[in-house]
Amino acid sequence: MRMNDRTENLLLALPGLALLAMAFFLPIGQMLVLSVSGASGLTLEHFSRFLSDPFYLNILWRTVRLSLIITVICVVLGFPYAYIMARVSPRLRMWMVVAVILPLMTSVVVRTFGWMVLLSRNGLISQWARDLGWAERNFQIMHSEAAIVIGMVQVLLPFMALSILGVITRIDTRLEEASRTMGASFMGTLRTVVLPLSMPGIVAGSLLVFTLSASSFITPSLMGGARIQVLAGLVYKSVTQTLEWPFAAAQAVILFVGVLLVLIPYVRVSTPRHG
Amino acid sequence: MVKAVPPWLRVASTLLVALTVLFLLAPLVVVIGVSFSESEFIAFPPKGFSLRWYEGVLTSNTYLASALASLQIAVLVTITATLVGGAAAVALHRGKLPFSRTLAIVFLSPLVLPTIIFAIGMLMFWSRVFGPVSILTLWLSHTVVALPYVIRTTLAVLAESDPFLEEAARTMGAGRLQRLWFVVVPQCVPGLGAGAFFAFNISFDEAVLSLFLRKPDLTTLPVQIYGQLEFSPDPSVAAVSAIMIFLTVLMMVVIDRILGLQRFARS
Amino acid sequence: MANVRLQTIHKSFGSNAVIHGVSLDIASGEFVSLLGASGCGKTTLLRIVAGLEGVTSGTVEIDGRNVTDLPPERRDIAMMFQSYALMPHLSVADNVRFPLRMRGLGSREEQEAKVRTALETVQLAHLFQRRPVQLSGGQQQRVALARAIVSNPKVLLLDEPLSNLDARLREDMQVELIEIHKRLGLTTIFVTHDQEEALSLSNRIILLNGGYIEQQGTPAEIYARPDSAFASSFLGAANLVPAIIEAGDKPVAVLADGQRLAIAPDITTYGSTTIALRQEDLLISDAGRPGLQARVRTRVFLGSRNRYVLQLAGMDIKVLASTDRVYADGAMVTLSVDPVRVRCLPR
Repeated sequence: MRMNDRTENLLLALPGLALLAMAFFLPIGQMLVLSVSGASGLTLEHFSRFLSDPFYLNILWRTVRLSLIITVICVVLGFPYAYIMARVSPRLRMWMVVAVILPLMTSVVVRTFGWMVLLSRNGLISQWARDLGWAERNFQIMHSEAAIVIGMVQVLLPFMALSILGVITRIDTRLEEASRTMGASFMGTLRTVVLPLSMPGIVAGSLLVFTLSASSFITPSLMGGARIQVLAGLVYKSVTQTLEWPFAAAQAVILFVGVLLVLIPYVRVSTPRHG
Repeated sequence: MVKAVPPWLRVASTLLVALTVLFLLAPLVVVIGVSFSESEFIAFPPKGFSLRWYEGVLTSNTYLASALASLQIAVLVTITATLVGGAAAVALHRGKLPFSRTLAIVFLSPLVLPTIIFAIGMLMFWSRVFGPVSILTLWLSHTVVALPYVIRTTLAVLAESDPFLEEAARTMGAGRLQRLWFVVVPQCVPGLGAGAFFAFNISFDEAVLSLFLRKPDLTTLPVQIYGQLEFSPDPSVAAVSAIMIFLTVLMMVVIDRILGLQRFARS
Repeated sequence: MANVRLQTIHKSFGSNAVIHGVSLDIASGEFVSLLGASGCGKTTLLRIVAGLEGVTSGTVEIDGRNVTDLPPERRDIAMMFQSYALMPHLSVADNVRFPLRMRGLGSREEQEAKVRTALETVQLAHLFQRRPVQLSGGQQQRVALARAIVSNPKVLLLDEPLSNLDARLREDMQVELIEIHKRLGLTTIFVTHDQEEALSLSNRIILLNGGYIEQQGTPAEIYARPDSAFASSFLGAANLVPAIIEAGDKPVAVLADGQRLAIAPDITTYGSTTIALRQEDLLISDAGRPGLQARVRTRVFLGSRNRYVLQLAGMDIKVLASTDRVYADGAMVTLSVDPVRVRCLPR
């Protein structure tokens, strides 16, 4: 069979490409088209409907706001955890990695359920809060923005930790040692050597976490309850309940565009480094 | 290096790690705990010890039906994702394609783009072109989502392989197909194996796509759980969830055996 | 066993020409070394013979047959890679059996018999069940060699196979290669950057420089009579000194500082030239004797000998001397050399 290398590789990549084209890019394309479809041809009415209604804008703002908070918390918690993971013995690191990957590999509904139990009125956390005198009788953290943040942080922290870990393991420990021999304290070394060098991982992790939080709906819907909605939850409603597909598509596009706006500069900035 | 750390910092870090691990694992522990509870109400710590919820779950038709659906899809997805992803990984690894870099981004894009966008796109596209959704829809969408994982694990393994093996095989008289079968595939096997288990796990746990692409008679297990959670859950939900956690742990052990989880700390 | 013929091979990678019109005739059973610095094209040439690289123009013939357009798998060759390229998932025996399997040579028993013979030839028969990862570097290298000879190829190609071994193992392997070549008589093309290796193993050395054949000949020929400054400095550590040749009954080379050195009468170059003085050909003795006067700059202790760096005619000259007598830094010494050993190179 007369084939050259290029053809062979093309044939190998073809099924994957076909699958992605058909089952990924076409659907997204369809959604884009639908978002500008109205009764009488192309229209931006769905977008204007969303962007001119304070109710929707409020939800958009909440989504962004919460995502930012979640991202920041993930960085604050994730960086030390990742650094420690990178510097301890392999045995301990293994367990720390397990502790991070196990939640990651569990279904999001299961994890959210766990939080629901903990944070509900009868949940352990609420009980403790009451016992410690921090809250009144009927207190629960569930169905609040705080609950959403807690749930999402637990879901997304592993992404951040792994992203930063990947970068920190590549930092030569001798750099830190050199810094110490030049008189810097441990914290000082962290600040001036490790932190700047970990930036790519922190940035990558933040982008990932932000994107994922902004587009999550299972955890926010369950943790936030009916009254506190996020953008993805709106989309779900528009698709499955009110059946306003073009409107849903428009919302999804707004989400999509938002994500792209955040991602593209990152890809632009980071690709040369990987080249 | 740890000796050079001031003692207060060591204590603080240990505390931080312990709390973080606790935070990460708490929901899972809770779920497992609740599943053994005797009472009808969901409470943690659980009151009493009983296996009744497990019994209930394992004999419930709805749970079994959705578990079966999840299983079917997961198996199908594992097969397709592994085959298609493995082939794509080989092609990417060789890098002799036009626009290799772009291609890599394309193949890994489902990882980066939020699933919800893909989910509604799929729903709209499928309904428009093929009509009502079916297992086929879920099969395809789950494969798309699992594909990047297989590609990544396989690429990781290929990256560490000897780049001259195929050339050596050529000088030994191996033709194209022989090289693929006797050299390339054996090289990929650990990556394919780990990827397969990832794919299975991802498909089985997948909730977003399954929520959008469902029908009354096409409910996967996570969707079933979600449904219960929205209304009034009883500990049977916990039992199902605990079983799912157990499955995940199993998958993790297997993947570790094949590939070593440490590799993933480097993605 | 076959002969190999390269005719006017040109090879470019894109716009980068790496091989310029190389023609080469290798007789059946000959052991030829392609010697040169990195980037000279020796590995590319080897890969061209293997078929792993195509040619931009020219032809490759193996055993009288034009194989230029044939892929490696159809050329009946065997190649040993620098990194050995052993299949990690196969045992030693299966590794060695691979070429026989791919080409479908003989039944399973016949193949296994050949494998056993090959492993015995490299003295590894007892490790046939091990995996490559369980072997030392030297053992892996032997497996690679066994794999290369098992199919009795027309041409055996070796790409710097010994460069990853430590000095001791290298010497042992060199001896083994010589023995195996004597026993099996395979046509062998050996790529190396190490001149000593080339000198000790080959029937003929092809010295490559920048994609051209600089010189070729038997080891003795090339070593004794390098034709160019490049060849001189590559083979044998030679000092290259600018000089002016004065003809006459007793020709001399006049150095930059006016000192005169007697050279052999059968010279063919005159006027401005470069003379090559090998480190081991130069003799050091106390100052004032007949010969060139030079000053000691440094001494390097090499264990069995001393290497002196001397200042002569405004340049550094390196000389190897015995450790019997030590000359201090700054001392003046006499440098003498047998006129026959002074090589005059064209400018």
